[in-house]
Amino acid sequence: MKASPQSAVTTPRSSGTLTSVEAPARQRSSWLENEAVLGYVLMTPALLLIVVFIAYPFSLGVWLSLTDKLVSRPAHFIGLRNFTHLFESQIFWGTVWNTIFFTFSATVLKAVLGMWLAVLLNRKIHFMRFIRATILLPFIVPTVLSGLAWVWMFDATFSVFNWGLRWLWQTTEWLLNADFGYFRGPRWLGDPAWAMFSIIMVNTWRGIPFFAISFLAGLQTVPTELYDAGDIDGATGWQKFWHITVPLIKPIAVVVIVFSFVVTFADFQVVYVLTRGGPHNSTHLLATFAYQLGMASGNLGEGAAVALFMFPFLALVILWQLLYLRKEDSQ
Amino acid sequence: MPQRVPQQAGGNPAGGLTRRAFLSTSMALAAAAGAEFVGGKAPALAQTRTLHVLEWSSFVPAADVIRDQQAAEFGKQAGVKVTIEHINANDLLARATAAIEGRKGPDILQLQNNSPHLYAGGLEDHNQLIAELGGDKFYPFIIDAVTVDGIARGVPYFFGGGANTYRKDIFQKVGIDKLPDTWEEHLAAGKKLKKFGMPIGQTLGHTFGDAPGFAYPVLWSFGGMEVDEKGKVAINSKETRAAVDFVKEFWFAACDEGGLAWDDTSNNRAFLAEAIACTLNGASIYFVARYTPEKTVPGMADKIGHFLMPRGPAGRFHTVGPSTNCITTYSENKDVAKHYIRYCHQKEVYEQFLVTNKGYVNGPLPEWQEHPMWEADPVVTIFRELPKYGRNTGYAGPYDRKSAEVRAKYIIVDLFAKAVQGESPQSAIAWAEQELKNVYERA
Amino acid sequence: MEARVGETFRKRLIVFYIPLFLFLVALLFPFYWMLITSVKPDFELYNARNAPFFVWHPTLSHWVQLFQNTLFTRWAWNTLCIATASTAISLFAGVLAGYALSRLTFPGSTSFGIIIFITYLVPPTLLFIPLASVIAELHLLDSPWALILTYPTFLVPFSAWLLMGYFKTIPRELEECARIDGATRLQAMTKIVLPLGMPGILSAGIFSFTLSWNEFLYALVFISSPQQKTIPVGVVSELMKGDVFYWGALMAGALFGSIPIAFVYSFFVEHYVSGMTGAVKG
Repeated sequence: MKASPQSAVTTPRSSGTLTSVEAPARQRSSWLENEAVLGYVLMTPALLLIVVFIAYPFSLGVWLSLTDKLVSRPAHFIGLRNFTHLFESQIFWGTVWNTIFFTFSATVLKAVLGMWLAVLLNRKIHFMRFIRATILLPFIVPTVLSGLAWVWMFDATFSVFNWGLRWLWQTTEWLLNADFGYFRGPRWLGDPAWAMFSIIMVNTWRGIPFFAISFLAGLQTVPTELYDAGDIDGATGWQKFWHITVPLIKPIAVVVIVFSFVVTFADFQVVYVLTRGGPHNSTHLLATFAYQLGMASGNLGEGAAVALFMFPFLALVILWQLLYLRKEDSQ
Repeated sequence: MPQRVPQQAGGNPAGGLTRRAFLSTSMALAAAAGAEFVGGKAPALAQTRTLHVLEWSSFVPAADVIRDQQAAEFGKQAGVKVTIEHINANDLLARATAAIEGRKGPDILQLQNNSPHLYAGGLEDHNQLIAELGGDKFYPFIIDAVTVDGIARGVPYFFGGGANTYRKDIFQKVGIDKLPDTWEEHLAAGKKLKKFGMPIGQTLGHTFGDAPGFAYPVLWSFGGMEVDEKGKVAINSKETRAAVDFVKEFWFAACDEGGLAWDDTSNNRAFLAEAIACTLNGASIYFVARYTPEKTVPGMADKIGHFLMPRGPAGRFHTVGPSTNCITTYSENKDVAKHYIRYCHQKEVYEQFLVTNKGYVNGPLPEWQEHPMWEADPVVTIFRELPKYGRNTGYAGPYDRKSAEVRAKYIIVDLFAKAVQGESPQSAIAWAEQELKNVYERA
Repeated sequence: MEARVGETFRKRLIVFYIPLFLFLVALLFPFYWMLITSVKPDFELYNARNAPFFVWHPTLSHWVQLFQNTLFTRWAWNTLCIATASTAISLFAGVLAGYALSRLTFPGSTSFGIIIFITYLVPPTLLFIPLASVIAELHLLDSPWALILTYPTFLVPFSAWLLMGYFKTIPRELEECARIDGATRLQAMTKIVLPLGMPGILSAGIFSFTLSWNEFLYALVFISSPQQKTIPVGVVSELMKGDVFYWGALMAGALFGSIPIAFVYSFFVEHYVSGMTGAVKG
């Protein structure tokens, strides 16, 4: 690490003015010259934040989940009773399933659609820079605000989608001179299955740009010679995609997918704005359920327990990613 | 000391209340109040105290306006800056939890139903205030809603309930000659309405007012109950089964099936947009039609009427829950808060509030039932009857924290929602039983 | 327009133009909807019968209602201050940590690196209940500091990660030359590495800014007074109440809540994109 006398002089030395540094200043701060000391000092702000606002609350949360804390009452240690109560609750297991299903579906959709969009964006046409900028809007704009637009678009009485579908329905009736009856349209937020579909759709809508831009970056690292070679061999578009693009994109894809999985698993805003967990708990995710139990019912112990339940899932996923990356690194 | 109070702009919505009487009482109060907490000096504005009140945003827009006006009046008289924060009632509990646990936030929380039981540890002792403002004259069920272990944790301010809002013209058109009195009649009427294309609209979603307002009375009117008198979970009974079977049939035959996702405003909008012809609601639909007619089709207000919840084998019931002003223990303005609550209950002040609501709210003391306002508009007179059929959630157990938790978790609403969604009644009832046990039999 | 081997216009249309167009419509329609709804008068808005895609009598009354009858401008100011301050703090901590982890070797550096990475295991939705009591104990409830200090918890890991990648690309020789010339490590860091890493710092900054603007749960739980709210919490809690949701004003709120961030972002698009891709690659 020490500077060698033959340090590369090919790079311009921009440090000329520093030769006038006084010796006393250097001695004063000599303890910062120590790599280890400097390292610890520089790490301090980040670590301080993490300890005070993550590590400490986390352990507090663990303790809270082992108590019977109700709002405005003192907490008493009750061991794992919150967890056993939750395990007996159908709502809880429904929520766990919802979270897994929601995260899995949304991630798959985002990955597939994001990849498709990335492939589309990989062409050079006029305005492509502008297009790339605009498609990131769903990701940039605050989720609850764009979520509100979706709530209005899904409204039971005034949904623009239903209006459009009804128009298609009636036009088809008119064209075929038939009568299919009155078309009501899906109850986007009113029917449990449709509601789940709706929240997955909104989360996917929001996440596609992130996947697209990330995959695009990956696509751009693939050397075009490989595609040309593929063309010479007579490969079709699909074959080129599967055998050239996908393997080279894999490292980036893994990082993006895992990151998105973790964030989606802990999602709160989409459900809060669209359904609040309804109809009758069918769209509750662990985050919103924890909020409802803790904040709305005042049952803070149980709420903390539900929130904590996210931890093992996330740990498994992140662990898997760490191991996968280690393996890739070592190859 | 005579303080020149600037004239209030705008018309006097209360109608009939003279400004002079209003002001003179308030000034007398303020003088007394000012003297008391500024130490006998003139109501000096030396140190502006503040008061933060958190309450729901009323479904009667004029009510929010009058609350803000009255608060400003009180503030001017007493040299206090009063802020009333109106939020969606569905968010009240979460805000209250954050405030009580964090020991920071509004000085007065206006809580609904028996939520004071949930927050008892963080709310002041209001026994003295209750004694001052009516004592035994308060409706007993209202006092139960706020009293925990003998200590009142708030002062009930008003209560309300829902009745069936209906379209007189549509009922006539489809041949409903007599207003439904029993559930069977209501079902028959609903079938006709649905066939006509304007069904009954009912929410079974997680929303604070209209959903429990339907679910609990249906359950009770068939004889079902959550717990028995000894506090043991008693939901799994043939009476409950009868209620669930009925609702299942009723839903598909008579209701707008989108109601599963509705919140408290959806049925209002649907009714005003002529998508439904009958719905359980407070008087707010009528209020909007009458006083802001541009929000609906012309002539709507004259076509609206109200009738009570239908009767079942075990009787006719309504949920009537009070809204209660509760002073928090962490508040640093408790004295101001007490004065404010006293002010709100002053006869002229309360009267103005009551009349502005035009039948949407009932006063916490029986004497308010005699007010001429109730006769003024016959369409809303029926809301005066609601206390007769009132019953507390958590019946037949006490109106306590556990019943508040059950209500906050929408267990009874979900019981019906699940059945309507296709789950078998036995399974839905078994589920509700388990959830109730989790709350009531928590060791 | 770059042509692919053997591609006719018809094929291009089917394989490229149409799908791209559909994506654009799908991704941008909700914004169009926000705009339209915010200028539609009530009688058009609540009429379930007429075609909703157009406005026949546009009105600015909803915009006026938003700015006059709500504390929207105050919320905008709050959000701006909080986002800027938390971005500054997270950049400070992130730059320092990124530099330390990528350029210095010291015992425990790998563990620290992993710790920072692991904070993703503990998302805000897991922490908010106990964190609320920590904030209460620090007497920060209902103060913007509650957010300014807690937002870095999810901003710093990403910033550090991103910056590590950037710093790694700066040749060590530059620093070594400087130190031969007599500069301290700190000076080498501040005068050489940081300026060269500026693109990365900008990227981390803009990413942090947009993430702060988007945060909702902490703001919902820690802040209660209307004057202290941020835009997302203010719009959702103050415009959705009572009998009628004021959809016109709501959409105006959604629109104007999104415009500032879209505006800022538009200046830094390249940085944002390269930041995202750099983080992912790194």
